[in-house]
Amino acid sequence: MISLYLPERTWLHAIPAGWKLAALALISLVISPIESLPVMGALILAVLALYASLGSAALRQLALLRAMWPLFAILLAFHWWNGDLIFGLVVLTRLLAMILLANAVTMTTRMDAMMDAVEPILRPLGWVGLSPRAVALMVAMMIRFIPLLFALWEALNESYRARTGKRGGWRLLAPFCIQTLRLSHHTAEALAARGGAPRGDRR
Amino acid sequence: MPNAPLIRLDHVTLSRGGRVVLDDVSLELTERRIGLIGTNGSGKSSLVRLLNGLLTPDSGRVIVHGIDAAEAPAELPRTVGFIFQNPDHQIIFPTVAEEIAFSLEQAGRSRREAREGAVPALARFGREGWAERPVHALSEGEKQLLCIIAVLVMEPAVIVFDEPFSSLDLPTRRRLETLIAALPQQVLMIAHEMDAFAGYDRLLWLHEGRVRLDGPPQEVLAAYRAFAEALA
Repeated sequence: MISLYLPERTWLHAIPAGWKLAALALISLVISPIESLPVMGALILAVLALYASLGSAALRQLALLRAMWPLFAILLAFHWWNGDLIFGLVVLTRLLAMILLANAVTMTTRMDAMMDAVEPILRPLGWVGLSPRAVALMVAMMIRFIPLLFALWEALNESYRARTGKRGGWRLLAPFCIQTLRLSHHTAEALAARGGAPRGDRR
Repeated sequence: MPNAPLIRLDHVTLSRGGRVVLDDVSLELTERRIGLIGTNGSGKSSLVRLLNGLLTPDSGRVIVHGIDAAEAPAELPRTVGFIFQNPDHQIIFPTVAEEIAFSLEQAGRSRREAREGAVPALARFGREGWAERPVHALSEGEKQLLCIIAVLVMEPAVIVFDEPFSSLDLPTRRRLETLIAALPQQVLMIAHEMDAFAGYDRLLWLHEGRVRLDGPPQEVLAAYRAFAEALA
């Protein structure tokens, strides 16, 4: 789950990235066999309390769930059709809790700290000639460019609407791809101007 | 700066996409403030891209502060800093501190030094509060300033500005101009704003891949303006 980093420091910012990721992995392991709806409900409440403790900017992040309602609806409908609505609710709350917890980690962890934590896991990539630093750079750039791509889509949609009065929808896909390629070309040039992507594993 | 500000182009020819964009250009650039003007496609952008190895000439030599572009292209990014038109194309990290730290690392610092150096680098511009900010929350002018800080920490001898003012409002542009004027580096500035070259030592007018006029800014600007009005 990719969200925006919270610039205001919270208590969760102070916890090392490795611990947060380990806690996330542990919680997902522990809750995966649980099939009790009250327990999962309590977990959701605990997660919401966690968000509240991080402040109003964190609570506003809950809005990201809005985009996921269709997925949740399909999931529930599937289980209801299978005759096991309660189990569907358990699955749904489990998913919801994990999404929110993962999001809490990304909200409070700087990209470089995150990459430091996962770099040991990426190290085997070095055996096939891929620099973990290059992978880290790739991930950082992806996070950086997501808001930019949204803005690009909005700009295309706006110019479409300005001339047609309708939303662009799928018609914007081709121009969007072309603009994205242009953007990546410019960015590659700017990266090269600063010496290019790091190759060595400099410490 | 180890070397005197000297950039030399010797009979440089460059084609891009089957079109000659620089045609046998020879120049010696020793002044501290040099501007470049010309219509779109005149070769300005290509010329400055030769200076830090983004483009290599088909023939001729490019020497930047003692570095031969053909012999040591890897040295060029640290010698020639580049500020592009759109800061959104240039900023590659999600937060301000990471963006600065990347430059420090590219300049040869260890990762730890780079991270610790980001805040002091921002503090030099009175922007230490920016360190944790997500870059997408900065205004256009702030993004451009971040790009400049990220280039300055690499301690280049030359800084190239490729139309840096295109999307800035006038007050922001003036603030950046004041900042640029105070830089100790040699500056090459491409701009379409006719009043962007106040205090510049020299102005080059490029036209169809050649230097059409070269001299004091006022003279060159007058000729360029007359040329533009004749076309209108």
